[in-house]
Amino acid sequence: MSRLNERFKKLYKIGLVITFAIFLFFLFYDIHNLDSDGKRYLSEHYISEGVQETGATNLVASVLYDYRAFDTLGEATVILTAATILAFLVPITKATMFGTTFKSIVNQTITLIIPFLAVLGAYLLLFGHLSPGGGFVGGVVLSVIPILLTITYSVDFSEYIFKPAQKKLVENIGAIGFVLLGLLGVFTGSNFLASGQAPFGTGSAGEVFSAGLIPYLNLMIGLKVGAGLAIIFNSLIKEK
Amino acid sequence: MEAAVLVIISPLLTAFFLGISRLYVKKIFFPLVTGSAIIYLYLLILVITNSYPAKVYSIGDWGMLGINLMVDPFSSLFLLIIAILFLPFIIFSMKYTKFIKHDYFIFAYLMIAGISGMVLTADLFNLYVFLEVSSLSSCALSLQKKTDRGIEGTFKYLIMSTLGSFFILLATILTYYLTGTLNMAEIPLAFEDIPFKIKSTIMAFFVFGYALKIGLIPLHAWLPDAYEDSPIPYNVLSSGLVMKSALYALIRILYIMFGIDFLDESGMLTIVVFWGVITFLIAHCLAFQQSNLNRLLAYSSIAQIAYIMIGLFVGTEAGLIAGSFHILNHAIMKGALFLVVGIFNYSLTAVEIEDIKGLGYKFPIISFTFVVASLAIVGLPPFNGFMSKWLIVEAALEADFVYAAFFILVGTFLSLTYYLKVIVTLYTKTEEELLIEEPGLSLKLPTIFLGSLCIVFGIVPSLPLSLMNKIPKFLLDNGEYIRILLGG
Repeated sequence: MSRLNERFKKLYKIGLVITFAIFLFFLFYDIHNLDSDGKRYLSEHYISEGVQETGATNLVASVLYDYRAFDTLGEATVILTAATILAFLVPITKATMFGTTFKSIVNQTITLIIPFLAVLGAYLLLFGHLSPGGGFVGGVVLSVIPILLTITYSVDFSEYIFKPAQKKLVENIGAIGFVLLGLLGVFTGSNFLASGQAPFGTGSAGEVFSAGLIPYLNLMIGLKVGAGLAIIFNSLIKEK
Repeated sequence: MEAAVLVIISPLLTAFFLGISRLYVKKIFFPLVTGSAIIYLYLLILVITNSYPAKVYSIGDWGMLGINLMVDPFSSLFLLIIAILFLPFIIFSMKYTKFIKHDYFIFAYLMIAGISGMVLTADLFNLYVFLEVSSLSSCALSLQKKTDRGIEGTFKYLIMSTLGSFFILLATILTYYLTGTLNMAEIPLAFEDIPFKIKSTIMAFFVFGYALKIGLIPLHAWLPDAYEDSPIPYNVLSSGLVMKSALYALIRILYIMFGIDFLDESGMLTIVVFWGVITFLIAHCLAFQQSNLNRLLAYSSIAQIAYIMIGLFVGTEAGLIAGSFHILNHAIMKGALFLVVGIFNYSLTAVEIEDIKGLGYKFPIISFTFVVASLAIVGLPPFNGFMSKWLIVEAALEADFVYAAFFILVGTFLSLTYYLKVIVTLYTKTEEELLIEEPGLSLKLPTIFLGSLCIVFGIVPSLPLSLMNKIPKFLLDNGEYIRILLGG
């Protein structure tokens, strides 16, 4: 009887998932058959007018950091909140990592890779409005540096090079910088987070110093995301 | 209308500066927290007094292409609740929190920023982003004591809250896929030629997701566990603002995006009123069994939210006014009750009902506040709870929900039984000598302030009602809201 019961429990869970999947399938089938092509004016506007209006040749950057920059502020705040929660939950300062020691060949290669990673991250950050890249991607690449140090050497060494307090400071400076850049629009008589509309203009699209606030916002988001991910990784890998 | 965006930005900035202050300059902690709270209060009052006629603020000056903020009477009601609760919360927490202070206030400011963002935004995805900010930092706040029970409760809270967010995000994505826009004024216009079946499915996703966050029975199980071992000042904000902000988003989406006609046609109004009746009957019965004061108040919160749902979903003008009035009143009454429990907890670490035996003679004023607030929440005249409950009963009768009106009266007697149990214990004489740490003025003042508001709003209900009389104009007829947001 109990075996039957157990089997029923398993089947019940699988059945729930399958029922939900079938339900979603029919829903999406119906939605897909609807004629909704006439309602794409927003995305079409972004595609056709985005370069002129924002000055950024990277379309994703123009949506993320100009049209919907306020969402980006909220998303970056979510990352900051998560990093703060993890740093608060795991206050252990001494950590014993898993005891794998690498051969010297690995250690040497890592030290060689790190400068290139830094250059790649900086490029992605600073040219985010011109080519694929941007604050989030650049930040992730930059955060790989302390993560690699943690994996190959140890948590202690990684936190000796990049101190937790410094990472926290960089993260907060990125966040404050984003808000202050947004307030720049208010001070110049326009609205919050205005870049093309504010008096400093967009510049000519394609140059390095163009697209109004977007490069600076990219930089701030990159600092914040990079520091935040490094904090999250180091907090998660620590064990008692 | 720069003040509208500053209401969201200034708590965010405060939280980031607190993060720096924790590491390097610890001395500016106290002036930073209190000064920012006072400036924030000023900004809130500025926005509330300018909320009628409704105003739109376009972020980045993009108009319909970007994100807009909108201040209307319904959102200014929530700003009013923040204005009433936030400063008492800050003053109380300064003294109450014996653990790490910086993280606690960082999360508190982030949570307030998230809630004010949810309340002010007129963009569907922006609403989701700020919902995530507020619910994630709310989870962090309920964790602050780091006891085993606290971690278990928070884990349940996190799982359920994430599940709710999942459904809300799914519905948001489907809405964008169908309409090609996220602006709350353009969605209802584009929704008109969507088939009934798809529209009601999306509505079901929204309702399920937000009902998880609000904690309607049977989706309530995380709520008492999360309240049980969390810092008590947080419970004030949680029951007064976090649950209510999810309710706000639900009302905004259902009334503006779908419209009252669709709600009536799809039977949503009848379903939610029935759901509300079931919820408060079960929640009252569960509250009666509790021996822990925090859990008792948590179940009472669930029941009161159900009253609010009934008021807001009978679908008439009177119902909307009554429901909004009960939102304000419940925040004040539950705030006073939780703060009193917080003082008992601070002075002699009391959490069980038996622990507070005989305290009525040791803390005469505080205990009297508890009696006032609990009689108000039961719904006895002349307190504020009576006024809004009476309005809800009247609205339910007017809209032909006679069974709902009848069961609200039954629920009142049920709630009277368990609150009387606490009051009787409070005033039972004991011979025990208790070690009492004297609560300072900074603990007593916020409590007495909220308690006295219970009486003031009960005697002069026209004071808040003058703000609420304008709410139905923007909710019952979504054309008005759409016209202002589209720039009429």
